[in-house]
Amino acid sequence: MKRSKRFEVLEKRPVHQDGFVHEWAEVGLVAMNGPNDPKPSIKIENGRVVEMDGKPRSEFDMIDQFIADHAINLELAEKVAAMDSRELAKMIVDVNVPRSEIVKLTTAMTPAKICEVVGHMNVVEMMMALQKMRARKTPDIQCHVTSLTDNPVQIAADAAEAALRGFNEMETTVGIVRYAPFNAMALLIGSQTGRGGVLTQCALEEATELQLGMKGFTAYAETISVYGTENVFVDGDDTPWSKAFLASAYASRGLKMRFTSGTGSEVQMGYAEGKSMLYLEARCVYITKGAGVQGLQNGSISCIGVPGAVPGGIRAVLAENLITTMLDLEVASGNDQTFSHSDIRRTARTMMQFLPGTDFIFSGYSAVPNYDNMFAGSNFDAEDYDDYLVLQRDLMVDGGLRPVSEEEVIAVRNKAARALQAVFKELGLPPITDEEVEAATYAHGSKDLPPRNVVEDLKAAEELFKGPATGLDIVKALAKNGFEDVANNVLGMLKQRVSGDYLHTSSIIDKNFVVKSAVNDPNDYAGPGTGYRISPERWEEIKNIPWAMRPDQIG
Amino acid sequence: MMQENLIEEIVREVLKSLQTNQASAPACGAKAEGKTSLDPARDYPLATKRPELVKTPTGKSLSEITLEAVLKGDITPQDVRITPETLEMQAEIAEKVGRHQFARNLKRAAELTHIPDQRILEIYRALRPYRSTKEELLAIADELEQKYGARMNAALVREAAEVYERRGRLRSA
Repeated sequence: MKRSKRFEVLEKRPVHQDGFVHEWAEVGLVAMNGPNDPKPSIKIENGRVVEMDGKPRSEFDMIDQFIADHAINLELAEKVAAMDSRELAKMIVDVNVPRSEIVKLTTAMTPAKICEVVGHMNVVEMMMALQKMRARKTPDIQCHVTSLTDNPVQIAADAAEAALRGFNEMETTVGIVRYAPFNAMALLIGSQTGRGGVLTQCALEEATELQLGMKGFTAYAETISVYGTENVFVDGDDTPWSKAFLASAYASRGLKMRFTSGTGSEVQMGYAEGKSMLYLEARCVYITKGAGVQGLQNGSISCIGVPGAVPGGIRAVLAENLITTMLDLEVASGNDQTFSHSDIRRTARTMMQFLPGTDFIFSGYSAVPNYDNMFAGSNFDAEDYDDYLVLQRDLMVDGGLRPVSEEEVIAVRNKAARALQAVFKELGLPPITDEEVEAATYAHGSKDLPPRNVVEDLKAAEELFKGPATGLDIVKALAKNGFEDVANNVLGMLKQRVSGDYLHTSSIIDKNFVVKSAVNDPNDYAGPGTGYRISPERWEEIKNIPWAMRPDQIG
Repeated sequence: MMQENLIEEIVREVLKSLQTNQASAPACGAKAEGKTSLDPARDYPLATKRPELVKTPTGKSLSEITLEAVLKGDITPQDVRITPETLEMQAEIAEKVGRHQFARNLKRAAELTHIPDQRILEIYRALRPYRSTKEELLAIADELEQKYGARMNAALVREAAEVYERRGRLRSA
């Protein structure tokens, strides 16, 4: 066939590098409203669920049982089951029905019912609903701070800059697992140099992650994965019961935590049982609820390519965020993995959470260049900072970031690198040279830093992990070396685990170390003029991107 | 990144896979026995609104945890931990804002505060699939209940033992 020049041009567009696939409902390659999804039902006898979503109790798998026995508020369950799903969907979108009333109904739904309800909404209605249903009034944003070479100096500097830019939560992980204590410590020190009160975590295998928290190197945890089918859950080496125990273990040490799940994980692991991605994800949200965990990171997360490939997949990703808020849980709503070569497409995907606002619009935004992102890239990264600031400014939307000056970024990066240098010296870890500090101060990514002695670092990191050092030793090391303010901030984070205020749903911590959560900042959205509104001061901040022309200076 | 080959891989995995009780909810724990009656609107966050109620396991108040005290060596890791009493108060707040499951989690956590870190990690590992026999899980439940007074956690472990048996997720003895 003689080729059309138009088609040849179109095929070269970035979107053609993305993968797309036709639906295949029988195996679960369908976003939502799958033909094999169960029909909603619930039967309760003597206070116990004897049938849920068409399945009798005798046939329950472990997930069905966990949900039926722990996740659903049974008082209103039969009443809600009898209500028309489309009418329920309308109530959820209706600004005149308060969130508090809706939550009573949605927390009494079964997984199939909640999927049927959101299935009646288009994406604009889902965004309306998300704006009303998210638990905390003030929207926020989380970032990733990672390094291709696990360079702790870079991590500290990038964390400090990210705090200055407005991120209130930060997540790191490792290239080489044994680096974990260094990365966690660098993130803690860097973040607290940028702004006191930033929450930090290090994503690792479950038990190791808990140990780092117990030592006081991290402030919360997120990578506690749950799955929607029993086979995948067990493949992930856990059960709802082991995860529920882990959740209590974190709280018993005064540590905040959330679970993680996402559409597409079950079909990617080959055990979707022919159910739609959203139905299986709804089960994950219920497991989280049933375990008594305050919140969930979802929005497909590391499986975003799977829903992204099927029709309506990005709508389903929005729907899973919405379901999380309908169960009165904190939502850290994804946007955290590279999913498309197309800038148009990746922006559109993020607008679904950016416009309505969520507890954490990103979980997270890459505060480093894409090549340094050890979570396989994020949907937005450090090179998109200015684009993101303009999106906030264009649409008058609070996406959580603020414009910063080059001078203040350089200064805070330098201070964080020096603070880490001092702590390394004090704790007897392999030295950080002045050359490294200088490089980290001005760096964009790990390629701009001199290489470290990996063998020595790993040996020291392992000893640090096994040894007795805790967050208090970091506090002392900082204070002894002239970083009293950072020391006080790190101590402020350790003190959080005494009061436990930040264990509550959707908590963040302000610069005065006062917790703001869904308890004292509950979302009261009830239509125009209510709920979260950008304050005049915040609007000034968003408006004033440093590179905008000043009309009075145009001669 | 979703590439063509990844889709193909998924489809193949899916094809491959094609060829192929009873336990009551954990008891709610004793209701907060009216020693304090917290009002979420008035008393939360405790650290700023009711600091006098919050103590460390060593009996210190939040205001005693200062940089000076840390440098003097007066603050140990034991001082930056939460107490069962504080967790019970937070559970009461959670209950009052309608978060019942979350409140139960905090109550289970209150029971775990006295269990050493290492034992917590071991119990978690024992609850993972195929790690324990039913007898081993029941022994852990007894230990939780008798040694630590952790009744809700014991119930959770017993429930797990039942489910794992029914679903074939125990370690074969």
